[in-house]
Amino acid sequence: MQQGMASCHTCLRLTKASEHVCPRCGAALHVRKEQSIEKTIAFGIAGILAFIPANLLPIMVVTHLGVDERSTIIGGVATFWDMHAYPVAVIIFIASVMIPLLKFIAIGTLVAAAKGKLVIDARRANTIYWLTELVGRWSMVDVFVVAILVGLIRMGNLMTINPGGAALAFGLMVILTMLSAHSFDPRLIWDRLRENQLNEPS
Amino acid sequence: MSHHSHTWPRTDSRIHWISCHFCDTPHRVDLINEGQAAHCRTCGQVIYRNRRSSLTKAVAFGLTAVFLIVLMNLFPFISMDAFGNKSTVSVPGAVASLWQSGGLPIAAAICVFVIGLPSLMVCALLYLCLPLMFGMAFPLAIPVTRWFLALQPWAMVEVFFLGAIISLLKLVKLADVDLGVGFWAVMALMICLAGAVGGIDRVELWDRIELALEKRKSR
Repeated sequence: MQQGMASCHTCLRLTKASEHVCPRCGAALHVRKEQSIEKTIAFGIAGILAFIPANLLPIMVVTHLGVDERSTIIGGVATFWDMHAYPVAVIIFIASVMIPLLKFIAIGTLVAAAKGKLVIDARRANTIYWLTELVGRWSMVDVFVVAILVGLIRMGNLMTINPGGAALAFGLMVILTMLSAHSFDPRLIWDRLRENQLNEPS
Repeated sequence: MSHHSHTWPRTDSRIHWISCHFCDTPHRVDLINEGQAAHCRTCGQVIYRNRRSSLTKAVAFGLTAVFLIVLMNLFPFISMDAFGNKSTVSVPGAVASLWQSGGLPIAAAICVFVIGLPSLMVCALLYLCLPLMFGMAFPLAIPVTRWFLALQPWAMVEVFFLGAIISLLKLVKLADVDLGVGFWAVMALMICLAGAVGGIDRVELWDRIELALEKRKSR
């Protein structure tokens, strides 16, 4: 910040930036989150990489009378749709496909704006950041569905369910994108805005 | 005549300034009445709130949550009967079952996000808020608060509950499904966690802790 003050990430109190530790809560004090953009990009890319197997691999393997049936996330959505269970199909599609994709786009937009490659309204950027942090965790729902079904359906030779590779990839993807969003510092966008206002001849 | 204070107590010896964590605009923390929120004058985001009867709520919901966590761990979550094949699963039972069927990472995810972190958070909240009701703080209140705040995004009871609903919808076509005590415990726990954790603002929490520690020092 301009006046040489830093706000604690944990308790928000303003302190002189020359202090390295917040005098109230003992958290490390930084003017901005450290290496915010680098971390956001690194976790984001790792998240995208995990998103690929999450969609290609089976999320669970149903063994029914000795026959293996593999189902992917999209396959699960299609099954519900065919069963006319439209609300469930829509919920799974939103939580598993839409939210991760929108999250990648949102994080990309925020990073581009913070680096000055893209001009967006700073208030809108706040909303995007807030939403990204809010919805990220809900994608974990798929992993929990698999966990409950695997735990419940143990019917000997008749039918068993085992988790597929996508469950792990998906869980990782959710954690990585949460870390990515968490590393981002929305104040960088406001810094950019203030810089531009200073440079503008008025 | 009620002497109920509508703002929270804090130390007079410090200058209460914070900055908006969205846009970094500095603000003097004005004490606001219960039910009010302070918005950033630059970007409009809420910077702090004064929640109604925050400590009472945190303690009441927190104690209920402890009870519900015990229920969740002891009682069946969902039972089903498919063509005479009966099976029952509890939340820790699902973890054990996943462990055996090679789903170690998913077992760990439930352990951490549904059982471990929510339990830790509730314990931390009670550890902080019970003594704060009497204006006191237990040892290590500062690191406990820091950890409590850092863990918040990673407790996923409500996401697990949505997962349970979706699982049920998958199962109803296969079998007769019964909801156990564990299921209702998870539903209630979701509400209690929201009430306990969302019930107190972090600026208020830190102000009260700072005051309690200052009082202890001066004694």
